[in-house]
Amino acid sequence: MIPDQPIAQAVALILAQAVVLLCVSPAIVGLINKVKARLQCRRGAGILQPYADLQKLFRKQPVLSTTTTWIFTATPYIVFASTVTAGLLIPVFASQMPLNFAGNIIAFVYLLALGRFFLILAGLDSGSSFGGMGSSREAIVASLTEPAMIMAIFAIALTAGSTNLSTIVHRTALLEGIATDPSPHLMALAAVFIVALAETGRVPVDNPATHLELTMIHEAMVLEYSGRYLGLLEWASAIKLLVFLTLIANVFAPWGIATSFTPIALSIGLAVYLIKVAGLALLIGTIECMFAKLRLFRVTDLLGVAFILALLGLLFFYMLRG
Amino acid sequence: MTGHTIVLAVSLLLLAPLVAGCVSLVVSGSRWLHVTNLISIGALVGAEMVIARAVFAQGSVTAFGDIVYIDALSSIILLIIGTVGLACSLYIRTYMDEQVARGVIAPKRLNLFFFLFHMFLLAMVLATVANSLGVQWVAIEATTLATTFLIAFWRRRESLEAGWKYLILCSVGLSLALFGVVLMYYSSLRVLGDVSAALNITQLQQVAAQLDPHIVKLAFIFVFVGYGTKVGLVPMHSWLPDAYTEAPAPVAAMLAGVLETVAVYAILRCRGIADQAVSPEFTGGLLALFGLISFALAAFFILVQHNYKRLFAYSSIEHMGLAMVGFGVGGAIGNFGGFFHLVNHAFAKSLAFFAAGNIHRRFKTVEIDQVRGLTTVLPWTAVALLISGLALAALPPFALFTSELQIVTALSSSGLPREWTQPGSRFPVVLLLLCGVVAFAGLLYRITGMVWGSAPKDIVHGEHWSVGHIPIVLLGTMLVGFGLALPDFMRQLFEAASALMTSR
Amino acid sequence: MSWLTPHIATQIVDFGSAMLLVTCFAIVAQRRLSACVDLFALQSLFLAMTAALVAFFTDTPHIYIAAALTVVVKVVVIPRVLKSVIERLNVTRELVMNVNVPASLLICGALVMIAFFITEPIIPFGHLLTRDSLAIALAIVLIGFFTMISRQKAVTQLIAFLMMENGLFLGATAATYGMPLIVELGVFFDVLVAALIAGIYTNRLQDAFDSVDTTRLNELKA
Repeated sequence: MIPDQPIAQAVALILAQAVVLLCVSPAIVGLINKVKARLQCRRGAGILQPYADLQKLFRKQPVLSTTTTWIFTATPYIVFASTVTAGLLIPVFASQMPLNFAGNIIAFVYLLALGRFFLILAGLDSGSSFGGMGSSREAIVASLTEPAMIMAIFAIALTAGSTNLSTIVHRTALLEGIATDPSPHLMALAAVFIVALAETGRVPVDNPATHLELTMIHEAMVLEYSGRYLGLLEWASAIKLLVFLTLIANVFAPWGIATSFTPIALSIGLAVYLIKVAGLALLIGTIECMFAKLRLFRVTDLLGVAFILALLGLLFFYMLRG
Repeated sequence: MTGHTIVLAVSLLLLAPLVAGCVSLVVSGSRWLHVTNLISIGALVGAEMVIARAVFAQGSVTAFGDIVYIDALSSIILLIIGTVGLACSLYIRTYMDEQVARGVIAPKRLNLFFFLFHMFLLAMVLATVANSLGVQWVAIEATTLATTFLIAFWRRRESLEAGWKYLILCSVGLSLALFGVVLMYYSSLRVLGDVSAALNITQLQQVAAQLDPHIVKLAFIFVFVGYGTKVGLVPMHSWLPDAYTEAPAPVAAMLAGVLETVAVYAILRCRGIADQAVSPEFTGGLLALFGLISFALAAFFILVQHNYKRLFAYSSIEHMGLAMVGFGVGGAIGNFGGFFHLVNHAFAKSLAFFAAGNIHRRFKTVEIDQVRGLTTVLPWTAVALLISGLALAALPPFALFTSELQIVTALSSSGLPREWTQPGSRFPVVLLLLCGVVAFAGLLYRITGMVWGSAPKDIVHGEHWSVGHIPIVLLGTMLVGFGLALPDFMRQLFEAASALMTSR
Repeated sequence: MSWLTPHIATQIVDFGSAMLLVTCFAIVAQRRLSACVDLFALQSLFLAMTAALVAFFTDTPHIYIAAALTVVVKVVVIPRVLKSVIERLNVTRELVMNVNVPASLLICGALVMIAFFITEPIIPFGHLLTRDSLAIALAIVLIGFFTMISRQKAVTQLIAFLMMENGLFLGATAATYGMPLIVELGVFFDVLVAALIAGIYTNRLQDAFDSVDTTRLNELKA
């Protein structure tokens, strides 16, 4: 808790952050789709289309297979809750949030891992072969992204002097810590970017728009879901994407974030945040058009590269002390 | 010796191969090529004699400002280059002509051969006389480049394979040596501060005691591993047997006799400087250890060879290892024995490869089993083979016996340097003698099998005396002569050089 | 320039060397030969830039000459020679490697750590702003050495050798602000001739063996 902060203000800030995450995430997905459409010389659906999709899904009645267990129905809620909680741990528009005492970067990674774990189980739960295939592929990708992510986090934490996300962002925004050590910083950024692409199921690791079951990873796990469950899962994956983009934007380039709680600083922080996230969404959309999806055993090469970049970032911290 | 004469001699040393190389490219007709070759080699030998006398008088010679530095150590190497070069040039006179006559190579390629040969000589001379360690490195790398195509000269598949392996392995090794030179420069800059002269041997020798020991230790390790690849020390030796087998006989003679010696020279120069900064026991131990391992391994490989050129290649590794042991153990006897061994080995090995070349030309095979009865088929070559084989097996009265005895004496009296084994341990000497016996057995068995016996049916008998036999007689006489009585000036040269190595 | 404190200058030079090391890893992770050649050209460009930065920060003009030579020889001439060799031989990818990509990346990471440990005792003695780059230089040399062992195509082995030379040049620039000019010229000349010779060689290899796969070069045995 931030000392001397009135409880009302703290609760308001937490709620505001949650609202921002929930409301902006479908727009980000819509923005990426729009960018891809434009680059492919199509008009494409509007940016606000995902909102309409979510609205449609929540109104529909879900259909459940009789072979599923409680895991199947509980997973959408668990995934949604863990993703939103992870999102609350990252500074979004203010660098010192009331929940920062719990904002340990390792907690962040493993909250997301909790959601992924249940999603893998749910994919297996329905008993269909495509679900099982998606789950096993997701497990492969997860086992490779985790070391890379942790290495990158160690590199960041060492240069910033703490594993608390809030502290890292605050110090970097004030031009201490990471900002004075560019080489490990950049290696970790490259590694986290590749890991973000892998974890959120973007090309070149997984194609989110594919209709072929044999090429699916994330889509295969949610293949059996319908109605509000599917809506929750889609929303959760959009929030996960936004959370990763927030991580990249605010940990590696947090300048513009609000370091105090005046209304002006907060609004500037929010505006800058939206611009940064939109820019990253543009970048991802362009990358999705530039590369083809990799075959699964090539994904291991790519994630190996991410791991090595993170390892290099760590080594550079020790080697290049200047 | 006036300064003028020395400068003239040094410029002759460097210009002779350069001019001869350029001339070889344009001249046509093999007779002119040979004439150019012999003239330039003659000039080289003459210049060396002059410089050796100057070194005796003054101790060391510098010329062209600080670019060239020659002392007793360099003089020995120059003498080896000159003598073996002369022998090879005489041998090439008959060897190459026969290859052209048989249609193995086109006459035009003879120009290329001589051009590369002279560039090779130039690079080796430059490596020996250069004052700057960096220029020395550049010259040794240039020898690699010049000899790659010489090794692959016959353009057979195996030759290309050997040449590629040689190029890659030696270049990689030399890159490591360059890193060592960079580290040397690093350490000397901190003391000297002057940028352009900090790699000069003259400067380094003066400030060697002030160099930082950590950096110099690391630098010496890199330089040793790098140049050791060129010398053919185990485990960096894998290019050596293939290269020597596939190269034409005179090229193999030059490689075995001279190039390895120049690489040893480079290591010794660095060692001379490193010994003042790091303890001589560390560098000596490194040299002796690798030398011993090379000697032991090569001895066992000699036992199982069935290709006589490969046999001589492994014998090269063995003798270089022995010389390294001598230098590693150090002291007056060890260093003297080492230098003497380098000279003797150069002569014996070239003699061996000349004989091998003749055998190959007549018998058209490199298998030992198929070569028999040399005394009837090629009498002169049989004598040469016998002399070189017995010499390489370190039999008296040949000179290699003397130098090997000296090295073994040094080893048994002082043992390997403290850092690497327990003092007073007899194990190294026993190992050395044992492997010596193994090598002796292997060589003798193969050589006598080739020399005696009844010749195969369809081989032409008889050997005509030609220019190519002069070097055989020369080298053979020297091998026997040195074993019985070493000329005074050589003894003084060796003593001066070993004093240089031990005056720390 | 008052903002150009020695600390910032060190950071910039370190960043240049870090980019060099990253291109090394990129070459190791690559399967396409023409991409390897392009990455090598990029690496040499980074090298020239780092050398020029060192020359700028420390007022040693002779490094500019070496940097310019690097650009001419290693960014323009040698990649062009290699590209023509690749075209003539019609080899495009490294189909089988002795060590697969993730494992070789990990080994290269370990080599970086080894290089750091080897040079750690001598780095504090440097008072120059580039002393950290000595560890990176040794790492590049070791990675080039490893690549040479683990790859089969003759062209890749040649690129690995040239990478080692790049590392050595970085080491010379970092530790000693470049070698004496005549030595630099000699080294460049050697590297150029070595590349040309190897280019001719791969041609001959192709003619003799119908491939430049060096695992076919196994006819000579102990």
